[in-house]
Amino acid sequence: MLKASNCYRNNRVGGLLLILWVSASLCRLQAQNSPFKPHYVNMTEVGGLFGRVVYDVRWSAPLVQEVQNRLSLTIQTFNGVQLKPRLAVGATVGVDWYKTALLTPIAAGVRYDLVSTPKNVHLFGTLDAGYGFNWLQVDGTGYDTKGGMMLNPGLGLKFAFKSGSAMLLSLTYKRQEAKVTKPLGWQEVEKWEDRTYNRMALRLGFMF
Amino acid sequence: MKKTLLLSLFSVVFLQWSCTDQCTETRRYKRFTPVTVSLAEMRQSVRTETARDLISPGKIYTKGNYLLINELKEGLHVVDNSNPSAPKMVSFIKIPGNGDMAIRGNILYADSYADLVAFDISNPLDVREVGREKEVFLNGQFDGAWWSLNKSTGAINDQRVDIVTESVKVNCEDGNNGIWGGRAVFDMAFQNSASSGSSANPAAQGQAGSMARFALYDKYLYTVGQNDMQLFDISVPQKPAFSSKINLGWGIETIFPYRDKLFIGSTTGMFIYDNKNPEKPEQLSVFQHAMSCDPVAVTDNRAYVTLRSGTQCNRGLNQLDVVDITDLRAPRLLKSYPMQNPHGLGVDYPNVYVCEGIHGLKTLNVANDFDVKQLQHLTGMDAYDVIPLSNKTLLMIGKDGLYQFDISNPSNLRQLSKIPVKRVAI
Repeated sequence: MLKASNCYRNNRVGGLLLILWVSASLCRLQAQNSPFKPHYVNMTEVGGLFGRVVYDVRWSAPLVQEVQNRLSLTIQTFNGVQLKPRLAVGATVGVDWYKTALLTPIAAGVRYDLVSTPKNVHLFGTLDAGYGFNWLQVDGTGYDTKGGMMLNPGLGLKFAFKSGSAMLLSLTYKRQEAKVTKPLGWQEVEKWEDRTYNRMALRLGFMF
Repeated sequence: MKKTLLLSLFSVVFLQWSCTDQCTETRRYKRFTPVTVSLAEMRQSVRTETARDLISPGKIYTKGNYLLINELKEGLHVVDNSNPSAPKMVSFIKIPGNGDMAIRGNILYADSYADLVAFDISNPLDVREVGREKEVFLNGQFDGAWWSLNKSTGAINDQRVDIVTESVKVNCEDGNNGIWGGRAVFDMAFQNSASSGSSANPAAQGQAGSMARFALYDKYLYTVGQNDMQLFDISVPQKPAFSSKINLGWGIETIFPYRDKLFIGSTTGMFIYDNKNPEKPEQLSVFQHAMSCDPVAVTDNRAYVTLRSGTQCNRGLNQLDVVDITDLRAPRLLKSYPMQNPHGLGVDYPNVYVCEGIHGLKTLNVANDFDVKQLQHLTGMDAYDVIPLSNKTLLMIGKDGLYQFDISNPSNLRQLSKIPVKRVAI
């Protein structure tokens, strides 16, 4: 329990550091030589949410904990404006297939090129923050799944083509909250589950 | 540049250090702890006390200007209701193991675990015990907790109910609920306190709700248990005397006396008894229905039966049945109307008031059997049982208190007052 909550804190602190760092980088924005015009940008990615779960084995005394690995499918599309040569802002809409929750996160998103190489490979920072909705979720009898806050910071590599489009590979941390109320068993008055999905998202996609 | 790259890679790896889902399932459930109450202790602690707050109200009973509210397993609140807009809590009659009551004249009959006790209530501030028929009820249940009489030790084996909160870490992806499983729905709290309106009783006696298990007729007090009906001779009002026992089968819930008939609600159907010979009620018919919990209310040649799903009544339906009882030997279902989770009901023809549990109170117009119309649906309150009074006042009890409504306009009930339940932190 203690170990798990520490990890969770680490993740949060890490996320915060990254945000600070990304915003600090923004200040160092360098002037570009060629004239730049803001334009529409789309980044569509598909990938997996990797993680694990540590849970109590019921009725075990002394308490026994078990571990299971988790992998869920994730699809998302970022639509926005390339405001500056390095900076794009917009909205991200996605679908995440957790085993018993199908959530639709809608988020505000930022993409920023941190490092560029002469070979047209860019390292970019990405940040999405929003809310995961339960619109596509179908619940079994007695279950009621509600979505929750979503935060998704991370880094990616952009392999730009001459045409202006690019291939994307990103590695991010995704935090998604959810709440499920459950059918009541014998003599139960109230039952619910608070979920926090902490996942590593590895995605592959295209940008144009 | 290299440094930046390194730093960013490092932070990403750092973030991924432990991607562990955190899922906590919290449940609040009733825990039963065995408690033994000796018969001597039970009998000695009967007394009148000063008024106290409602905590876990059960059934209601009204007579004249007075109103009795059962405090589950504790006793009875006496309320002066001469002004329904401002009811006054007068006193509290402490009766261990009490759940039901009936009044005739100045005598109150109440159960106290195994005993049936008669009280003189001519002075509500000083209610005196005048008679007691000992060890007539062998078992019963409150709030889902069963008690039973152990004759050899002279004690009641009861259970105390506590609400316990428990959290466990779960694997996040268990959508179909394994071990704590069961689809049974919580509904026990008020099992013991349904009400049915007995509108045709002689003036001298009080009026019960549709969930009552006690009924008065002629010189008899009828009490229904889980599987039988007992008759008590009250020709000497102070001295109720056990008369006979009729086996009814199983899952008996409520009794509703109407004219010279007894309507008994059980989980499997509605029994109709002819009571022409009050000493020996005779079964006329059974109206079978799907297994459900079902209080009954009757007016003239129509019976209204509510069926609801709940722990004891699992796989139940939630509906209101309109039953033609013109021929008491062959009751006929006219039509069923879907409901949410109906508990007690009361008839003030042409209106029927249906308690929908946590979904509130519904006013229905039943003038046309085949087209029952909903006039009003009050929400934001818990409704368990109702008694419509002749002075156009509706008494309604729920888990959050006792409400009184002015029902002169059935499509727009006006709340006169509310005696709230005092919340106990659990």
